[in-house]
Amino acid sequence: MSFKLFFLLVKAAGWTLGISLVSIAAGLALAVLLCAAMLSGKALFTVPTRLFVSFFRGVPLLVQLLLIYNLLPFIGINVPSVVAAIIGLSLCTAAYQAENLRGGFESVAPGLVEAADMAGFSARQTFLRIKLPIALRLTFPALVNEAIMILKSSSLVSVVGIVELTRMSQDLASSTYLPIPLFASAGLIYLVICWTMALIGRFSERHLPGALPAGSGASR
Amino acid sequence: MIFDPKVILDHLPEIASGALTTLWIWIVGMLLGAALGFLVATGRRYGGRLLDLPLGLAVEVLRGTPFLIQIFLVYYGGPYVGLSLDPIPCGLIGLTIYAAAYCSEIFRAGFAAVPHGHVEAAECLGLSRFQIVRRILLPEMALIVLPPFVNLAVILLKESAVLSIITVPELTATVSAIGSQQYAFLEAIFVLAVIYWVIVEAAAWTGRMAETRLNKLRFAAP
Amino acid sequence: MQKRLFLKAALGAAMLFGASLSAHAEDALAKIKAGGTLKVGTETAFAPFDFIDAGDHVGLNVDLFDEIGKELGVKIEWVTLPWDGVLPGLEAGKFDIVAGPATITKARMERYRFTAPIAEATVAILKKAGDKTITKPEDLAGKAVGVGKATAQLAQLQEFSATLPKKIDVREYVSFNDAYADMAAGRVVAVANSLPNIAFVAKQRNGAFEVVLPPFGKKSYFGFIGTKDADHASLIDAVDAALIKMKGDGRMAKLQEKWFGTKFDTPDSVKDPAF
Repeated sequence: MSFKLFFLLVKAAGWTLGISLVSIAAGLALAVLLCAAMLSGKALFTVPTRLFVSFFRGVPLLVQLLLIYNLLPFIGINVPSVVAAIIGLSLCTAAYQAENLRGGFESVAPGLVEAADMAGFSARQTFLRIKLPIALRLTFPALVNEAIMILKSSSLVSVVGIVELTRMSQDLASSTYLPIPLFASAGLIYLVICWTMALIGRFSERHLPGALPAGSGASR
Repeated sequence: MIFDPKVILDHLPEIASGALTTLWIWIVGMLLGAALGFLVATGRRYGGRLLDLPLGLAVEVLRGTPFLIQIFLVYYGGPYVGLSLDPIPCGLIGLTIYAAAYCSEIFRAGFAAVPHGHVEAAECLGLSRFQIVRRILLPEMALIVLPPFVNLAVILLKESAVLSIITVPELTATVSAIGSQQYAFLEAIFVLAVIYWVIVEAAAWTGRMAETRLNKLRFAAP
Repeated sequence: MQKRLFLKAALGAAMLFGASLSAHAEDALAKIKAGGTLKVGTETAFAPFDFIDAGDHVGLNVDLFDEIGKELGVKIEWVTLPWDGVLPGLEAGKFDIVAGPATITKARMERYRFTAPIAEATVAILKKAGDKTITKPEDLAGKAVGVGKATAQLAQLQEFSATLPKKIDVREYVSFNDAYADMAAGRVVAVANSLPNIAFVAKQRNGAFEVVLPPFGKKSYFGFIGTKDADHASLIDAVDAALIKMKGDGRMAKLQEKWFGTKFDTPDSVKDPAF
């Protein structure tokens, strides 16, 4: 297998990485909103949010992507492939990250919330300045895990027209009849990216501000 | 938007057959994967460096690459090394190995969660390793590993949709084929989403029931 | 203040809606020429019409559309989807026209509009070279044959299978490439596809595969696909004009020779497909 083919794979991996990173960020932002809705206690917010989370955790990503790409135009929303891929991945990861974050929010020590209340924090301030940072911190490993899962799931976005790493390896394999070297190389590139993300996750956990000493957690 | 449910109703037998294929591949894959994963976890725990390192590497590779790539490697690459599998066996084996990698990690975490004091006490009493695993670790782990297990089961059910890409006649493949042949793409995707949603919710609900039941039998100190 | 904000937002939305409505009054061809890009949907797994050769997108489609682009004065933008996603994508408006190409059939003509045909599409069999058990199409009875999902070739194979004493075990693949790979692996004994395609693959694979004549399918042609609505009529007319011009001045024949080693005698349009 030539270097040229490997280089083509690496270029396609650029798409994989780009789309995944944008989706992870968008998904996290959306997940925070979803959590806020779920914790608000008002049925107006909690019911649709629960439905949303249930749907996006319950339907395979492959089907979700096809829905967003093919079904949405019929209700007026026609998006290009890249946007459809990002929307699909973001919605899917948002649902999972919302569940992760919810666990984190529920573990915030009630004492902290009470103290904030006594200090005169509004509900919004308490959420943004006390609960959210702690929840993020507690669920950080799960969030990193989810990020890695999205990176691997991006292998499916070829069904909405993106020629990313997996699709490129398929195309090359069928024209060069070298499936093993090509798929193995693609696997290797995914591995490198995933392991790097895991490493960055572990490093951040230990060195970013707010790092809790190993083994502790602000639980009740 | 013209939405004609008749197309779907006309093809219910085919769709049911596809759904059945999905279900049995999922369940068998999960069970075999759990068994294999357990063997791997015990192997890594008691097998010393000789087993731990290669198995650990295999698990990391399987968890760090997309399922689709693993399936392609086996399905399209297999024949070049003499392993020519039909879609269904290939899909089943792929799903099992993928499940086993994740299960082994769940079991490893379960092993670690059992208080070491219990294991020590058992060792002091002269129980063999096999007896320790069977009578101390497994029962105490049961409740701890159940939630991640249910989670994994749901993930595997959704990954099984990917098998349609190597022409396994499961639910996604069947419904989208009907959609293409009858030019009823929208109905097909919609029905597909609903069916998966229902099955997943049912599985998750069953998992929650099992958790609540097992909780009553809990005796390991947290 | 909330009320004012709401009114402003409603006004803005109404304006946007109005603007988009009026934009629709322009037809597809005008919009494409204004935007300078023609979006073409295709599979890139249908050699020699459309395939990836070590990273480059090549084939008869690419060459033909390059010429069409020149005639219309637009750039070509390719959108790659699996074949069973291409027609849904066309209906969803993801691209303006589908390359493929696709076999012109009665069922498809009811739903879509085809351009002038660009090659013959009659279905025949590709088998492993030296396989003496298959000398004519009827020998396929009871055997496993690969074909692409959602293709006219699949329909032809199923129709043919119904005429045989023992039915053919039809295996459907996401792309024909996968079918050829499986044939090389021995999982199927033959692949049914259109004559130009399998002739090309036989040549490409240096003697690993052989074409089985005569073709068993009914005579059919390949064309590009567009939607039937009035909006796109002028676009397909323009593409038709470009293709017929290319037939007239010999460019079509040259490209067919380049990719198939032979040229095809195709009618200017197919009104009454054989199936």
